[in-house]
Amino acid sequence: MYIREMKLIEKYGIKTAKTTPVKTIGQAKQFIEKTGFPIVIKVDTDKPIHKTDVGGVKILENWRDLAQFEKNVKKIESSGVNVTGFVMQEVVSGVELFIGGKRDPQFGPVILFGLGGIFVEILDDVSVRLAPITKSDAKEMVKEIKGYPALSGARGLKPIKMTELINALVAVSDIITKNRNIKEIDINPLIANEKHVKAVDVRII
Amino acid sequence: MLDKFFRPKSVAVIGASTHPNKVGHVILWNFIRGFKGSVYPVNPSHDTVLGLKCYKTVKDIPEDVDLAVIAIPAEFVPSALKDCGKKGVKHVIIVSGGFSEIGRNDLEDEIEKIRKKYNIRVIGPNCIGVFDAYSQVDTLFMPRYRLERPRKGRISFVSQSGAVGSAILDWAAAKGFGFSKFISYGNACDVDEVDLLDYLEKDKTTGVIGMYIEGTRRGRELYNSLKRITKKKPVIVIKGGKTKAGSKAASSHTGALAGSARVWEAMLKQSGAIIADDIRRMFNYSRLLAEQPLPKGKRIGIVTNGGGFGVIASDALEKYGLELANLDKKTIDVIKKHVPEYAVVKNPVDLVGDADAHRYEIALDALLEDNNVDVILVLILFQTAGVQSEIIDIIASKSDQKKKPIIAFSAGGDFTQVHMRMLEKVGVPVFDSLEEAADAIKKMYLYSVSVGNAE
Repeated sequence: MYIREMKLIEKYGIKTAKTTPVKTIGQAKQFIEKTGFPIVIKVDTDKPIHKTDVGGVKILENWRDLAQFEKNVKKIESSGVNVTGFVMQEVVSGVELFIGGKRDPQFGPVILFGLGGIFVEILDDVSVRLAPITKSDAKEMVKEIKGYPALSGARGLKPIKMTELINALVAVSDIITKNRNIKEIDINPLIANEKHVKAVDVRII
Repeated sequence: MLDKFFRPKSVAVIGASTHPNKVGHVILWNFIRGFKGSVYPVNPSHDTVLGLKCYKTVKDIPEDVDLAVIAIPAEFVPSALKDCGKKGVKHVIIVSGGFSEIGRNDLEDEIEKIRKKYNIRVIGPNCIGVFDAYSQVDTLFMPRYRLERPRKGRISFVSQSGAVGSAILDWAAAKGFGFSKFISYGNACDVDEVDLLDYLEKDKTTGVIGMYIEGTRRGRELYNSLKRITKKKPVIVIKGGKTKAGSKAASSHTGALAGSARVWEAMLKQSGAIIADDIRRMFNYSRLLAEQPLPKGKRIGIVTNGGGFGVIASDALEKYGLELANLDKKTIDVIKKHVPEYAVVKNPVDLVGDADAHRYEIALDALLEDNNVDVILVLILFQTAGVQSEIIDIIASKSDQKKKPIIAFSAGGDFTQVHMRMLEKVGVPVFDSLEEAADAIKKMYLYSVSVGNAE
């Protein structure tokens, strides 16, 4: 299911972190023996859950981390969620962003954008537009958030790959306008650095 | 389609009454005073009202009726509307309350059925209806001695709330602001904000549209209409129910759903509408946009007869991201010839305390000619003996050239107030706060940019 969602956004031109599905923790071990640490492991489940909140996502630095992750998986399963497998994902570093798409009861499809993590929660730093959006709408959305300097290269930070971010926003707008069966889409985090902008996790309802 | 609401040839007032405190009396009186077409009172219990022959039902009126205004208790409205249908009246304003806003959806559904059957367009119910400064259609049931009507102008206002709307009209009249049309649409059982916007888009006497809105049933259509119209005419919107407390009051108010504040704001911004935080600001933006030409840029030339206010003006303009124009040498040379030697001529142009109307005229002409100036802000302190009333005519004649936007500022007591009203009436927007003036100039500049008139 997780892979299918990643494939969908890739089809619309959004880059994704390199992701490989494995069935069992055993297969995960074999995979890590080939690639080495650090690597990200995530649970794949039969229904959408907030993976991070329940310990279903972990950056593995060593074998002990994997053992800890196995414990988390047991906990998730005991809560009634079916863990159908795992995905191994490359570690992407950069600024955490999110792009969301929703259907507003009055105005129809809308696109949301902001810095990920604590910025959304604490600063309420989000820009919104009705979909479909144009590239210039997307540019405005990016410039509108208070955290924009963190993306444009303030204080010696490297500016992020803006063209890819703009394309990702327009892509999410396309996804929500063209797929009437999609109620909500949430790319969070979308990690941006000077070289690329990659979706690391995506939820579609 | 909606034109007969504003330009009917004949009007029936259903519920016309001989009692001066009755809504139907006030409405009939409004029509008798200003409206040029035929007016027919309808009320089964009177033979004449205000000197006019009164008809038992609308069906008894011998001539065609373009517009009927219904001002009777809710329970009698369906049968009155049915009579309108049989008579062939195609436009009806129902001012009566007592429908979906108090849970009587059954009565409103009945109205809906009748209007569909007879193909009638309905404004209301639960509204104060229409005021048109040109045709003098006036269904506002507030007597004129309580609620002044504004002069003819280019601002039209669409309001979901009757109370907000009527306060706006009264205030506009007192300040000398000009209006074209005012519509309060209440429960919007038929004609809603989208229909009205689409009508005003094509209305020749409407240059600027103001809007007070709490909720909509046609979000996408509203967005699409706004997006299209704002390219031709500025639309200034006050959104009621932005905060959680405001939203709660709104849903019990007109029975409409208030959308989430953030999506509303995004929608308005994206559509090109100008968002005003309150009624005062809405007027600040709309009278500038209605009366003055759009600026080509954001370089402001200031003329004043008081140095201190020039400084405050400069600060306010800078705060709003506007620029003080670098005056052309020619401008400075011309003005220098007409001011005392001790006056320092730069921007702001300080004409000093003994400035008279003539000196203002020299400065205004020079700034109108100066290609470095996009907008003229003229500060007049009427407290000094030098400034005579003829300055109003001089500024008006410059403003009438429509070359560049001219905005005035003044502050003071009764003498000043009289002159401020005079300026407003000749179409020169005048402010008593430089901060508000700067805010309004900024909005006008941004609109000018959005329609490709300025960079």
